[in-house]
Amino acid sequence: MYLNFNFLSNYFPMLLQGAKYTIIISIGALALGFVLGILVALMRQSNNKILNFIGAAWVEFLRNTPFLVQLFFLYFGLPELGIYTDPIITAVLALGINSSAPNCEIIRSGLMAVKKGYYECSYALGFSTIETFRYIIFPVSLRLAFKPLTSNFINLVLTSSVVFSITVNDLMGTSKTVAARTARPFEVYIFILLAYCVFTFILSFISKAIDKKISITL
Amino acid sequence: MFEQYLNLTYYDIFFFMKAIGMTLWITLVSITFGTIIGFMMGIIRCSHNKLVSAIPLIYIEPLRNSPLITQLFLTYYGLPVVANIVLDAQAAAIITLSLNTGAFFSVLVHNAIKAIPHMQWEAGYALGHGKFSNFKNIIAPQVLRLLIPGAITLYINQLQVSSFVSLISLIDLTKAGHILTLRTMRPFLIYGIVFLLYFAISYPLSKLARRLEKKVAFNF
Repeated sequence: MYLNFNFLSNYFPMLLQGAKYTIIISIGALALGFVLGILVALMRQSNNKILNFIGAAWVEFLRNTPFLVQLFFLYFGLPELGIYTDPIITAVLALGINSSAPNCEIIRSGLMAVKKGYYECSYALGFSTIETFRYIIFPVSLRLAFKPLTSNFINLVLTSSVVFSITVNDLMGTSKTVAARTARPFEVYIFILLAYCVFTFILSFISKAIDKKISITL
Repeated sequence: MFEQYLNLTYYDIFFFMKAIGMTLWITLVSITFGTIIGFMMGIIRCSHNKLVSAIPLIYIEPLRNSPLITQLFLTYYGLPVVANIVLDAQAAAIITLSLNTGAFFSVLVHNAIKAIPHMQWEAGYALGHGKFSNFKNIIAPQVLRLLIPGAITLYINQLQVSSFVSLISLIDLTKAGHILTLRTMRPFLIYGIVFLLYFAISYPLSKLARRLEKKVAFNF
């Protein structure tokens, strides 16, 4: 048994290219998942029973089925409807939809944590319902939900590694190519594993620093 | 000429059942081993010696902070080359998933033990319990109670994550769906069935977790 990491330096630009795609996909999915998460959370908070049911069904469905099947469903299933799918767009779509479920739960618990006094106070100051939500409730609940949202984002970055199965050349996909080309999979995969570790550590470090600045106690 | 292959047949039910069996087998075995590993690591994490309590972190942090698929590829494709350990797909999947579950479970155990207030220990000592008897009779039952909802949520997650083993050529439910899709060319129908099957296994469990969470919650 011997380990040799020297050959990796030749493939470094290639892996970096892969990392670029991982970051692009993660950020796209983050944005989509965040917007969808807010929408679904609002649906679940509403008094309309149908909207409420749709929101609950959306969350339950996404939480109880594997991401890989959702990804395959979008990638292989949509062409059957006549929508031709680009791997990267499908990956962003699938990841965004998948992460909207936990995002919704987190944002909802943030919304529920805002005390009634805030609503009453802002009504007393003459805000309308929408203005109350826009200027008072929403910012406060986002601040409350920031920490779990970032840990969910880290989870999303890790999950994004399976999109290589629909031919996206992300970090995992390129590392698979490198492993096949050099026939030294152990070194390549352990390097990638540590690279993901370092990446998530940096992310969680940044999120902790931001959280310290914006966290509030009600 | 090939139209006969495009239809789902009666035999495909058996194919699906076999695939469900594989998914459940992988999940059950790996969560069993993972729970055992998790308990051991979680208890070591609670040691008062700072050095001893930091040792499990070497194992926990890399596994929690890297994608499962990389870990799977490392065991399945990496080990044979570097250490001459040739594992078949099933063994590699079970080993990796067990270690992965263990890493997450040990964090749950650690948090649950930390959540028990110190007074409980002191009260136990005051009543004449020794350290071990104290842990066994007073702390452990409360820890288990706190642990159950989180553990079930983790198990559900591991069930879903077990679909990744289809990428190392094991025929689990996801792979079965993929194979049938390629044969029948009807991804909507087949993946719909796969969705339903996963949902049918996982939804009752998540309901149970939520119910237990309400039941188990208590204030000290």
